Amino acid sequence: MRGRVVFLLEEQSMHNALQGLLPRIFPGWQEYTHWVAVPHQGKSDLERSIPRKLKSWRAPGDRFVILRDNDGGDCMALKARLRELARHKPSEYVLIRIVMHHLETWFLGDFDALASGYPEHDLTTLRQRAKFREPERLTNASEEIEKLIPGYRKTAGATRIAPHLNLARNAAPSFGVFVDGLRTLTATMR
Amino acid sequence: MRIETIRVKNFKSLQDIEIGSLPPLCVFVGRNGTGKTTLFRIFAFLKNCLQYNVRAALNREGGRNGYREVVTRGHEGEEIEIEIQFRLDIAGTNRLVTYLIGIGPTDAGSPIVKREILRYKRGRYGAPFHFLDFTEGEGYAISNEEDFSKRDEELEKEFQRLDEPHTLAIKGLGQFARFKAANAFRQLIENWHISDFHVSDARGVKDEDDTRHLTATGDNLPSMARFLYEQHRPAFDQVREKMRRHIPGVDDIEVKVTEDGRLLMRYADGTFDDPFIDKNVSDGTIKMFSYLVLLHDPSPHPILCVEEPENQLYPQLMISLAEEFAAYAQRGGQVFVSTHSPDFLNAIELNEIFWLEKHAGITQVHRAGEQGLLQRLVQEGDRPGYLWTEGFLDSRMLQETEIDEG
Repeated sequence: MRGRVVFLLEEQSMHNALQGLLPRIFPGWQEYTHWVAVPHQGKSDLERSIPRKLKSWRAPGDRFVILRDNDGGDCMALKARLRELARHKPSEYVLIRIVMHHLETWFLGDFDALASGYPEHDLTTLRQRAKFREPERLTNASEEIEKLIPGYRKTAGATRIAPHLNLARNAAPSFGVFVDGLRTLTATMR
Repeated sequence: MRIETIRVKNFKSLQDIEIGSLPPLCVFVGRNGTGKTTLFRIFAFLKNCLQYNVRAALNREGGRNGYREVVTRGHEGEEIEIEIQFRLDIAGTNRLVTYLIGIGPTDAGSPIVKREILRYKRGRYGAPFHFLDFTEGEGYAISNEEDFSKRDEELEKEFQRLDEPHTLAIKGLGQFARFKAANAFRQLIENWHISDFHVSDARGVKDEDDTRHLTATGDNLPSMARFLYEQHRPAFDQVREKMRRHIPGVDDIEVKVTEDGRLLMRYADGTFDDPFIDKNVSDGTIKMFSYLVLLHDPSPHPILCVEEPENQLYPQLMISLAEEFAAYAQRGGQVFVSTHSPDFLNAIELNEIFWLEKHAGITQVHRAGEQGLLQRLVQEGDRPGYLWTEGFLDSRMLQETEIDEG
């Protein structure tokens, strides 16, 4: 494969998640060889950074993925705004994905992965709760996980849980949309 | 003095590094354990070699097994080499001079100075001219170097044998005025300031009347402050003004002379406190005060080395502190700073930043200013501190991005 995939992220926890997740989607993928991540200090920092990074980046063949949490607003409008910020690169080179609503929503959407990441907590009786069947209805996934796993921290949690995520089945649809989009984006890389 | 190039071989993780075109202000970043402290130890090591001798200096770095602990693992059969290239005025002419030492064990195993050279190039072409050239304790120095027009055979070489092969020739010969280059270089190294500041040492009162510079540990801070107040009032007034601006609650610093001439710091509520005794004055306040005193020294050190000046200070202070270091460098002293602070880096120019990486136990030094992607990002509005936080000061990050250059 020529070129790398550059992930522009809102924060460090998603970087940790990708370290566990990407080698499962693309066996043999290594950070820095096949992909790099640029974590930011939140949403506004990410948005300020996008045009700077895309304008400055010159490696031919590199692809870009922008991952941003939905802030509860209009998802399509947000996507259009990010697309505008990313105008310096051809749109087929830039994948924009909105996380509904947080990385932790994806974790709640895969209870087995959550349980595998925290084997010291017995979560089996909680998984049947109705609210976890449609985690994207929850706007505060971090707090929900914190209730299940007292003392939960985002970056350490991402490192523990992400390697166990089931690529084919997640109750949070935005996870599957992200994985599919990534496969499409990289299919054009040779 | 201005160091232009540093080359080091086989000194701990610095197996083979060369950093050239060093600016007046050099800022080093890198993750923990990449070799920043080791790089800074080079300055202390050279100074210790001069002040004591090579064995004592090695023992300071590596404990009782000195040489074996200091030489890079796997390179025990080679010499530790340190070479610095610098600009120096000799007999009224500014010259690019090279000083190099090679340190290795004798057959019996005790470390000595294998080779020591102080040289410069007389012209663009031709062999370098050696002021001083010693091999294992024996060699010569030039004693009529003021006459640069003389041909090599007319120069007076004075052959010397050092008492001990583990002492530096510039230590022995540098004492004599007739060896001007050795003498000048020796004095420069002696005046390097390698900060090893301890707030606890800076507290308390010591009576020293001959203070001219802040010591490495800062233990003469009160007397240095008094020296500025009494002998260099404009510099003191600047320190006072900056303290008032930067430290909340410090209304003013006044020398309210007590019986023993101590300096008092006045707070907003108008009461007087003795800053060097009172436990109510925070460590950060004392630290900022000592940096300002150090950086307003009326006669700047030729080299100033400070590791992680950001510790104990609040982030918004970093821009001002970085600018103080830059101003000091402009006034003639060359400054080497290491930092982990993105805020500090944000106030630094890209070409003043170097980052360290360690691969398989060996340190690499990279220059931020020569990376096209970093230049473009800064042009687009990014600051070096953001780029450091975002992981761009990393050769693995940058490896594939330069294909399309030009």
